[in-house]
Amino acid sequence: MQQAARPGEAAPARRASTTHAPVPQRPAGDPSRTLREDPVGHQISRRTLFRTAGGLAAAGALGATLTACAGGTGAGSDSGDLTMTWWGSDERHAAYKKALATFQKNNPKIKIETRYSGYDGYFDKFNTQVAGGSAPDLLQMDTALVAQYARKGILAPLDSYVGKSLDLTGFSKTLLAAGTVDGKLYGVPSGIGVNQLTVNRTGLEKLGLKLPEREWTWNDLKAVATQVHKKSGGKIYGVDDGGGSTLQCFEIFAREKGQPFFSDDGKKLGFSADTLQEWWEFWAGMRRDNASPPPAVTSAAHNDLTKNAVVIGKALFTFDSGVYGAGGSITDAQLDFLPTPQGDWSGAREGNFVNGGVLLSATKASKKAADSVKIMDFFAQDPTAIKDMRLLRGIPPTEKARSLISAGLNETDKLNMAMADYISQRVSKATDALPAPVPPPGGADQIWDLLFQSNLAVAFGKKTIKAQASEFFDQAQSILAG
Amino acid sequence: MTTAKTDGAVGERPAAPATPAGPRERERMRRRAARRRGGGWWPYLFLAPWFAGLFGLTVYPMLDSLYLSFTDFDLLTPAKWIGAQNYTHMFSDDPVFWDSVHATLLYVLVSVPLKLALALGVAILLNRPLKGIGVYRAAFYLPSLLGGAVAVAIVWRQVFGGDGLFNDFLGWFGIKGQDWISSPDTSIYTLILLAVWQFGTPMVIFLAGLKQLPKDVYEAAAIDGAGTLTRFFRITLPLLTPIVFFNLVLQIIDGFKTFTPAYVVSNGTGGPLDSTMLYSLYLYKKGFTDLQMGYASALAWVLFLVIAGFTAVNFIAGRYWVHYDDDID
Repeated sequence: MQQAARPGEAAPARRASTTHAPVPQRPAGDPSRTLREDPVGHQISRRTLFRTAGGLAAAGALGATLTACAGGTGAGSDSGDLTMTWWGSDERHAAYKKALATFQKNNPKIKIETRYSGYDGYFDKFNTQVAGGSAPDLLQMDTALVAQYARKGILAPLDSYVGKSLDLTGFSKTLLAAGTVDGKLYGVPSGIGVNQLTVNRTGLEKLGLKLPEREWTWNDLKAVATQVHKKSGGKIYGVDDGGGSTLQCFEIFAREKGQPFFSDDGKKLGFSADTLQEWWEFWAGMRRDNASPPPAVTSAAHNDLTKNAVVIGKALFTFDSGVYGAGGSITDAQLDFLPTPQGDWSGAREGNFVNGGVLLSATKASKKAADSVKIMDFFAQDPTAIKDMRLLRGIPPTEKARSLISAGLNETDKLNMAMADYISQRVSKATDALPAPVPPPGGADQIWDLLFQSNLAVAFGKKTIKAQASEFFDQAQSILAG
Repeated sequence: MTTAKTDGAVGERPAAPATPAGPRERERMRRRAARRRGGGWWPYLFLAPWFAGLFGLTVYPMLDSLYLSFTDFDLLTPAKWIGAQNYTHMFSDDPVFWDSVHATLLYVLVSVPLKLALALGVAILLNRPLKGIGVYRAAFYLPSLLGGAVAVAIVWRQVFGGDGLFNDFLGWFGIKGQDWISSPDTSIYTLILLAVWQFGTPMVIFLAGLKQLPKDVYEAAAIDGAGTLTRFFRITLPLLTPIVFFNLVLQIIDGFKTFTPAYVVSNGTGGPLDSTMLYSLYLYKKGFTDLQMGYASALAWVLFLVIAGFTAVNFIAGRYWVHYDDDID
């Protein structure tokens, strides 16, 4: 979209020199006509200059709005190095590069070109590359998006390599389900992802408050969050606004009621309007009691981890897993972790679930799938890779890997891993819980965004909860219908 | 050969050669004539790179996007023809489309007049023989050079954020600010302010126009006792209307196409609540994030038609207020 109006800018001079006869002479009989003579001797009246310049510049600028929006599908890259992409924090970049250096030493024949960035724009770029035929051979994939890309035929199925060049010993079935779409494996999970609430323990202790129990309810959260605001003299809110938070938050709330986020066939929402209203009413109450910050704080953190309420010191609890975990810590405070609260604590009905952290996937158009699989295998099983990556891509997927890294972990990493262990055990013990969520359908990310925006609309007072809930269902349905 | 005295009236015109030209002379004249008519293929050879650019990078992609606007195309799998469905969906069933239209119109209609007024005002101030005037001119033009840069938009985010410089500034006067960027009622105005701040390009063009204004008219006006304001409204502004028009047309087009500031300031979200969802940003989101390239192409064509419409209206309305000095007969 950022093309300059290139043809238009060059136009005036060109136009002037081609449409006027090169006669450096005043027309007789019209002395009042003002003519400007350019150095080459061409004449341009100011009227002509501005009309043609304006018109041509306009035409050029108009053209540029259209040309940016066309594309076509092409084949994958075929020559040169194996390209690998991922997103993450600086810590994760460094760890990947360190691990890959070891891989290169052992496999000097495979040349790897790495490209990495933050999450913002990562998949926008990937989409464009696929369309332009220059998709990477190997990429870090999001569990939330793997189904979408697999079903569109962008990712290579890996089943034929499993047990041969791809060793998945020690990976649990639930974990592999995160990379399995319609019965085929499209991505190797990098680790266990659980939804933890990250807590600024230093801040909590300073206010003379204790870390809540692991088996806690939404009301317990409300109680401690209100206390935070009171004891800090109104300077700090308790927990960042979870009303629009999807994976880590609302999905767990709905699942505990026996309602998945998406129906099994992915064509409908799995939860009821009542559930959503109850959820938003809870968070409206949280904002009213200053247990959660006002919407401007929540809105500023959208897509920007550095503005997260815990990171900027406006809250002590956050649902955003990015503050710690996959990306490394971005605050100086000593952090601790808690499971997402439950509604009615019985243990049998568990809303929490386990997913696959991030995945490594190969693209179907790539001619280097065999080499890509070698790298996946390296990250899944090789001790040096496991040690290099630590918890930077989630809690390692196998028992063997977890014991390999446990010695070198810092305090926060240890707490993080212990909590993940605890949650996955609780999930496996639950007797009346829903199975792990189905891979999200296409358009899922639009619906999550819609949930976030809807919660904001309620929080900013632009819509009532009831009206916004029905609007949410209408729009989500229309997105899922495609 | 001598010229007759009575022929004086046509004396300047070259006389026809008295004797017929030889065959070599005739050949040379024929070639010269052919060149004047633009004959020969070799000029096109020199133009070929330009034509390749025009057709390969402009005409073909435009036509392709016109075709795609009638398809369901997700970038990853082949396009499916769906007729005018993208267009009907846009107008009947897409609330975000209307949000983006609202944000964009507000952005263009508020920022362009303010920007032009500021540009003209500063251009008049800078049109004086001051010492070091070049430095001032450069200083005022600087924001425009930096304007499109991502860095400036990031700085804007910081300045107008909850704990930003702007609120610190308000604090000196005892005013408690708010988070201007992340409140849906004010966020678009921070973008408008950013646009207005980048008034350098129209300013330079105004400055060039001011330099051309005839001094004698002002001298005559001064003798007649016209004050500063009278001179501005009766002389400067009317004489400058062609330049105002030129700037207006270009700035409106630029305004409709604004993308970078909205993308960066809102972190690519167009938020809060779509208040900064400028049309180009929505188009980008649809195409590259939501994988609806067919729909995005349709959006692009609607934008094209809207800009074309605005430009046409400008040109028509211009007839009534733009004065070219060659109109004064």
